[in-house]
Amino acid sequence: MDVVNQLQRQFIDYSASLHREGFLDDQFTQLQKLQDDNSPDFVVEVASLFFEDCEKLINNMARALEQQQGVDFKQVDASVHQLKGSSSSIGAMRVKDVCIAFRSFCEAQNREGCLRCLQQVTHEYSLLKNKLQTLFRLQQQILAAGGSIPVVE
Amino acid sequence: MNSSNGNGSMSTASSSGAWDGRDQFPAGLRVLVVDDDPTCLMIFEKMLKTCLYQVTKCNKAETALSVLREHKNGFDIVISDVHMPDMDGFELLKHIDSEMDLPVILISADATKQIVMKGVTYGACDYLIKPVRIETLKNIWQHVVRKKARNTV
Repeated sequence: MDVVNQLQRQFIDYSASLHREGFLDDQFTQLQKLQDDNSPDFVVEVASLFFEDCEKLINNMARALEQQQGVDFKQVDASVHQLKGSSSSIGAMRVKDVCIAFRSFCEAQNREGCLRCLQQVTHEYSLLKNKLQTLFRLQQQILAAGGSIPVVE
Repeated sequence: MNSSNGNGSMSTASSSGAWDGRDQFPAGLRVLVVDDDPTCLMIFEKMLKTCLYQVTKCNKAETALSVLREHKNGFDIVISDVHMPDMDGFELLKHIDSEMDLPVILISADATKQIVMKGVTYGACDYLIKPVRIETLKNIWQHVVRKKARNTV
């Protein structure tokens, strides 16, 4: 039982830090609340889907921005817009915030600005992926030890 | 509330006819949700199912339109993302408006006044900004009831 308590404590602290540092916002908590016995892996599944999609969109943006003959900013913007939607829906606050700035640069047709944002969004996405993987690992450990995942408000 | 909609029975496994006369109202509301973003689509489906609605999901507007045409009177409300490749939410809304009498809710990560105005002028019964919370989805049955009431006058 002590092991479970320790792990749960770790989970709560880690969750809190992710919220505090802006990696996750309340929308993520909403998703955690949706998880139930019918869909016990809901959050992990959505997160995996998000990361898959994120990579695809980032690649689209990179390709569009590489075009030497002239960047199709509308195309870049379309990908950024979609990433903004999915990141906000999953609660990936820092990724979403970069998307907001990114869209302004697309509108202004500023290639340098866009490239900077692309770098930032790639960075934030990797950070978030690592952090969520740590969080999910903690979850697995709690469950394996016979405990239940605490709900972090 | 009288379930006077007896025209046409559904060939799908779900309910036939109106849902609003039954005891568990608004559970069983038949929702068609359309979004090309897989992350958002998965989240919407989970949220709508948690609301005890019957959910059908599509990742393309054209598919959604076929489904609606094939199952006349099979749905109570449509929720659609605005920005989709090929056919967008506005075009889908126009088709639905001319061919069927269904309330359509538009969703987007875009919150500019112009686009919301466009949605409303095109006839969307509501325009939601991502991230959508489950509390908002819990209330969508009101649009169905409102439309039915207007039609009866």
